[in-house]
Amino acid sequence: MSDTTFEPRIVGFLCNWCSYAGADKAGSAQTPYPPNVHVVKVMCSGRVEPEFILDAFRQGADGVLVLACHPGDCHYKEGNYRALSRSVMMRELLEQFSIDARRYRFDFVSAGEGEKFVEIIGSMVRDVKALGPLGSLANRLGGAKAHHATV
Amino acid sequence: MGATVGVYFCHCGGIITEKIDPEVVRAAVLRLPEVAYFTPISLLCSEDGLGELTRDILARAPERVVIAACSPREHERTFKRALAGTTVNPYLMQMVNIREQVAWVVDDPAAAAEKAVAGIRSAVRRVARNLPLRNIEIETHEETLVIGAGPAGMQAALTLAVAGRPVVLVEKAPMIGGLPVRYEAVAPNMECGPCMLEPMMDQLLHGDAARHIELLTMAEVTAVKGFLGNFEVTIRQAPRFVDASACIGCSMCADACPARAPHPYNCGFDTRPAIAMPFLGALPNLPYLDPATCLRTTGEDCRLCEQACPVPGTIRLDDREKVIERTVGSVIVATGAGLYDCGVFPQLGHGRVPGVYSSLEFERLSSPSGPTAGQIVAPGDKAPERVAIVHCVGSLDAAHQDYCSGVCCQVAFKFNHLVRHRCPEAHITHFHRELTMPGKEAGRLLAHNLEDERNTFVRYERLDDLRISDAPGARRVEIMGGATVRGGEFDLVLLCPAMTPGADTKAIGAMLDVATDRWGFFEELHTRMSPTSSKVAGIHLAGTCHGPKDIPQSIADGLAASASILASITPGKKMELEPIRASVLEGRCSGCRVCLSVCPYRAISFDEAAQSASISQVICQGCGTCVAACPSGVIAGAHFTSEQIYAEIGGILA
Repeated sequence: MSDTTFEPRIVGFLCNWCSYAGADKAGSAQTPYPPNVHVVKVMCSGRVEPEFILDAFRQGADGVLVLACHPGDCHYKEGNYRALSRSVMMRELLEQFSIDARRYRFDFVSAGEGEKFVEIIGSMVRDVKALGPLGSLANRLGGAKAHHATV
Repeated sequence: MGATVGVYFCHCGGIITEKIDPEVVRAAVLRLPEVAYFTPISLLCSEDGLGELTRDILARAPERVVIAACSPREHERTFKRALAGTTVNPYLMQMVNIREQVAWVVDDPAAAAEKAVAGIRSAVRRVARNLPLRNIEIETHEETLVIGAGPAGMQAALTLAVAGRPVVLVEKAPMIGGLPVRYEAVAPNMECGPCMLEPMMDQLLHGDAARHIELLTMAEVTAVKGFLGNFEVTIRQAPRFVDASACIGCSMCADACPARAPHPYNCGFDTRPAIAMPFLGALPNLPYLDPATCLRTTGEDCRLCEQACPVPGTIRLDDREKVIERTVGSVIVATGAGLYDCGVFPQLGHGRVPGVYSSLEFERLSSPSGPTAGQIVAPGDKAPERVAIVHCVGSLDAAHQDYCSGVCCQVAFKFNHLVRHRCPEAHITHFHRELTMPGKEAGRLLAHNLEDERNTFVRYERLDDLRISDAPGARRVEIMGGATVRGGEFDLVLLCPAMTPGADTKAIGAMLDVATDRWGFFEELHTRMSPTSSKVAGIHLAGTCHGPKDIPQSIADGLAASASILASITPGKKMELEPIRASVLEGRCSGCRVCLSVCPYRAISFDEAAQSASISQVICQGCGTCVAACPSGVIAGAHFTSEQIYAEIGGILA
């Protein structure tokens, strides 16, 4: 599976108030990190539907990252707790789809934690590179799209 | 769809183009079928750049716009404001963060250009699905309901009234001023409580701004319905049996009254007539009649008060409860706190052993307007020679209140000061767990007490180790823990309990739908960043109703809560709210109510008739948690719809 030229594509769902600001902090500090993570900004990690994560894998992502405010710091009080409980379920669900749970990561990044953001991106990219491309496994998720809400 | 999206690429004065080659990006972006044109601008956020942007949009008339520049946290609002001057709705614009998240962090130019293109592709796909949105406008009432006329409530009412805003100030007691108005002195500077509050109370009752304040004493709010800017309030005011506009405050009615009952504002240490002032100096300067004490309640046709009154018609023995309804735009809850019940600790002897008093009881026993006219006396009517002051009663103890109230030590040292002043020879022993005297002014009081040679300090570990027994002739305080038994005999024992949520907090919270925290105080929207807002938009918190506080903090709370109302509601102007809100698609809700349980703002209610959840556009803050939780997928999160997010994901991975 290990392919030295393999550059994984990772979708990162970041909340507007803490983790997106943390990513910006890493940018302002001009700390380089691998370009593999593409960010989708949501107002709150509580907005991230499990279906978004499945859809990212279905559309070819090799990894998915969800970053939230630290417990007690959520701009919307509790959205990060919902995201946290969904992440527990998500891991079990991915195993059922034969997707290695290491391709999915949930973590907390505050607006000040630029360095932690860089560290998470680095280790995530390393882990997913080691796992190799998700490849045809994505096809197994083809059926999941049928359950998507269309709003 | 055709090529309807205009893409603007900011060079950021060369900062972005130093890493990302705009020509590589242009070539790739122009291949996207949705893109009509690609315009580079050297510095988009500058005055020149914004002018160029608006002129270009007006000339080319795209349907939608993508701006690749810095972080949206930096300039999304700037560009939205610029778009307001064009034909493109500000929500039909999507930003791509190619500075903080690409140019500044990707070393390899080819990888940087590729990442920028993926971001733009994703934004182009998303913006095609964005919907034009407008700010939500709501009518607001400029009136404010303030519940509680202690320091915080009075300050809030006055601040609003000085700004010309109408205030309905509701106070449960027959007088204003809250607890400190009943104190002989206020720590740490020992000003007399009523004297300190007098100018504020005078302004409230007789100042220029008083005409904007409708003060309702002996009144309680019984219902509040509605939302930010529009609350319908029901108030029940008990009969006072005295015409406030006619009474001259001479107290002749009290002198004539033959009935007596324990005095509620002197902790029951003495009695009061059925009709009398709440206590000497209480404001407004009006007596009130307690029907539970009045002989007329037992069937006697007593009219002695009426006959004694020099102003005929002032005593209104036929007075009845009034139900008052008002519409207000905002509510300030300033209902105050309570004190931890000393009776929870039977070993401390409160209520059983004579001469053992709680702090509030001693406030009255040391006040000139109290039952002893300010004379400090121990049982047996003698001046106390040995006084014990017990700190931390119910505080810093996980089995009781786990916090430090931060004010009880000041109260304890204030008592020390009062006793020392009136009984100079008394020996005073402080039994404490911690000594907490924060603030720039409190240090002197602490130092003064620590240096006093007649003071002794004894630290105890657990309140359970303390025993106060009724030894013959004296109270004995003993600390049982450890190898040695320490303590001694005392004439007076003063207990300083923790500040706790007021007794009515739960009921008031249920009425207002304002949550309480794990200690039972009202819960703030955010304890640090929004410390005077409740989680219900338009309902504010001030003073000790949301946590233990001293008087300056309560006054500051009153100012903060009223300032946030003045800043958010402008008379005659509609309030504008951002349109990023959730809404339930009509006729599609299955009625499972999952959304109600996840909303942190209680913005969602259930319409029983329609069997559908309904989201208040005023209360919703737009987090989208309910959108993600809805198992039927029939809650739409404006500007973050699932369709828009799927398009964004698809654009990244295309």
